[in-house]
Amino acid sequence: MADAITIVRPYAVAAFRLAKEKKTLPKWSEMLDFAAAVALDPQMKAVIDNPKVVAGDLERLFLSVCEKKLDKAGENMVKLLVEYGRLALLPEVAQAFEELKAQDEGMLEAEITAAVKPSDSEVKALVKRLESKFGKKIEASVKVDPEIIGGIKIVIGDTVIDASVRGQLQELAYALKG
Amino acid sequence: MQLSTSEISELIKSRLENFSTSAEARTQGTVISVTDGIVRIHGLSNAMAGEMIEFPGNTFGLALNLERDSVGAVVMGDYEHITEGDTCKCTGRILEVPVGPELIGRVVNALGQPIDGKGPVNAKMTDKVEKVAPGVIARKSVSQPVQTGLKSIDSMVPVGRGQRELIIGDRQTGKTAVAVDTIINQKGQNMTCIYVAIGQKASTIANVVRKLEENGAMAYTIVVAAAASDSAALQFLAPYAGCTMGEYFRDRGEDALIVYDDLTKQAIAYRQISLLLRRPPGREAYPGDVFYIHSRLLERAARVNEDYVEKFTKGKVKGKTGSLTALPVIETAAGDVSAFVPTNVISITDGQIFLETDLFNAGIRPAINAGISVSRVGGAAQTKVIKKLGGGVRLALAQYRELAAFAQFASDLDEATRKQLDRGRMFTELMKQAQYAPLSISDMALTLLAANKGYFDDVPVARALAFEAALHSFMHSKYKNLMDKIETTKDLGGDDEKAVEAAIQDFKANNAY
Repeated sequence: MADAITIVRPYAVAAFRLAKEKKTLPKWSEMLDFAAAVALDPQMKAVIDNPKVVAGDLERLFLSVCEKKLDKAGENMVKLLVEYGRLALLPEVAQAFEELKAQDEGMLEAEITAAVKPSDSEVKALVKRLESKFGKKIEASVKVDPEIIGGIKIVIGDTVIDASVRGQLQELAYALKG
Repeated sequence: MQLSTSEISELIKSRLENFSTSAEARTQGTVISVTDGIVRIHGLSNAMAGEMIEFPGNTFGLALNLERDSVGAVVMGDYEHITEGDTCKCTGRILEVPVGPELIGRVVNALGQPIDGKGPVNAKMTDKVEKVAPGVIARKSVSQPVQTGLKSIDSMVPVGRGQRELIIGDRQTGKTAVAVDTIINQKGQNMTCIYVAIGQKASTIANVVRKLEENGAMAYTIVVAAAASDSAALQFLAPYAGCTMGEYFRDRGEDALIVYDDLTKQAIAYRQISLLLRRPPGREAYPGDVFYIHSRLLERAARVNEDYVEKFTKGKVKGKTGSLTALPVIETAAGDVSAFVPTNVISITDGQIFLETDLFNAGIRPAINAGISVSRVGGAAQTKVIKKLGGGVRLALAQYRELAAFAQFASDLDEATRKQLDRGRMFTELMKQAQYAPLSISDMALTLLAANKGYFDDVPVARALAFEAALHSFMHSKYKNLMDKIETTKDLGGDDEKAVEAAIQDFKANNAY
């Protein structure tokens, strides 16, 4: 995973900078999203991974599938990825692009896990507190997982705020073991 | 393992009292790969260099490589249960080990956990493993002696408190024996000893501990053991952990002695970690910073001045200097001191004791090569009486070596040359000493005086050590006051010298040996 992000970053950063310059961020986001979906298609995947397919054919095939969805720059992006043999990494490029976009817009994605489904007002209050803590807009997704027994667990990027009963029991176990 | 129930309950009670259930934000990462104890982690963007990383199953690692998208960490202990995709957390702590007098008499691993089956250590304090050595202002020059109890070392290569004296030699030349004898001789010398065993066989470590116990040396000794079967990370960390335990005493105005046995193995462990972390290899495949791992370790052995101690203890200890003396051990291959690690450590330390296979096999034990063994600062710290009497030893041995090579070709020698040869032969014999039998200052002074004044001249070389032993026991029984006086004053005035000479004459006239 870390290796992929290292390879993918230059493509994503280049696309992001170009999009920002031309003020076409939503369009780019859409294009990459679509192209990523195409690249993830099992049939397409088989073609991409097939070493017998010539680069030119792959390029033509991919672009014909995407049809009118890509503009000139988008097509060039696909051509470039094909030329360097990185087409298989398109989904990661799209993901990295979205991350850069979110960062630029001051957005953070938060994954909230709770043992029982929290009410909307609870989530709202929580998001508000998180926003004041991180100083950024929070886009929350709520997951229900009875495994954590009680309480909540929030994952924002690398940071984890673990207030679940399960996590606390684990802490207690470590503390007692010394 | 013996544990009383009340002790356990108390322990749990205090832990429960101190346990807080507050939710804290921690940075989390995902394990990408586990290879030979090296874990690559995605995420952990806030990890510090040298920070402890917590893995599932109460396992900890040390973050060594901080890269753009990943962190390279080395696992301390078992890593078999860590798998790809496991989550791990930053702890926000730099690695620490327990320190304090509670550790004395214990055998612990590189993390300070007891491995001698005598229950928990109960140390009240912990301290960081990696610390920066005291600066120039905090230091004081070396001026107090460390008595090793070995005639050859105390007279020719004296070691001072706060000095770093390297013990170097091939395998099986008695390096550990010199170090262990030195520890044994520290009884009643206000010295806390730390023996760090790195990469040795567990049976060898057990033997050393047993010998220390038999000689009553565990009463003031801490053993830090990272055996050959322990992970490379622990072998790499053990010297730093031991050093931190020694610094506790140094910083509080006490004296401590630390033996690193041996640093070659530590360098090898570090090489393994570095290569697995894909750091570029250099000479002999060691990484570029192999000099620094030893220099930063040995710089921490120092003598600190009164001001430093007073400031450190916040005025509780006044007017006392502290010291940490280091005796690093390096094993050479076939006497090759120009290999990478030996040259490094030779250049870092304040002198070296060379042990040679040829001498060892010739029965000269400790097998010290007097010609190339030096002490760069110890002379200022040598005990007065030994300094006065031992000055001639090095000279006599140097002249002897020169003549002995020359005399092999000459059939008959003149009187002066023959005398010098005899004298050199006698001194070589007298520098021999049995293991686990360190000598007191008075005994050593007595031998040196007798040799200097020529009382050994009519003794056959083969009987010299027997003569010496008999002389020591005679003097202790008949001239106890005189010997005690030398022992306490550590000096030999003109009158005392005459008295000792008279006593030796008395011994020679009335005793068989």
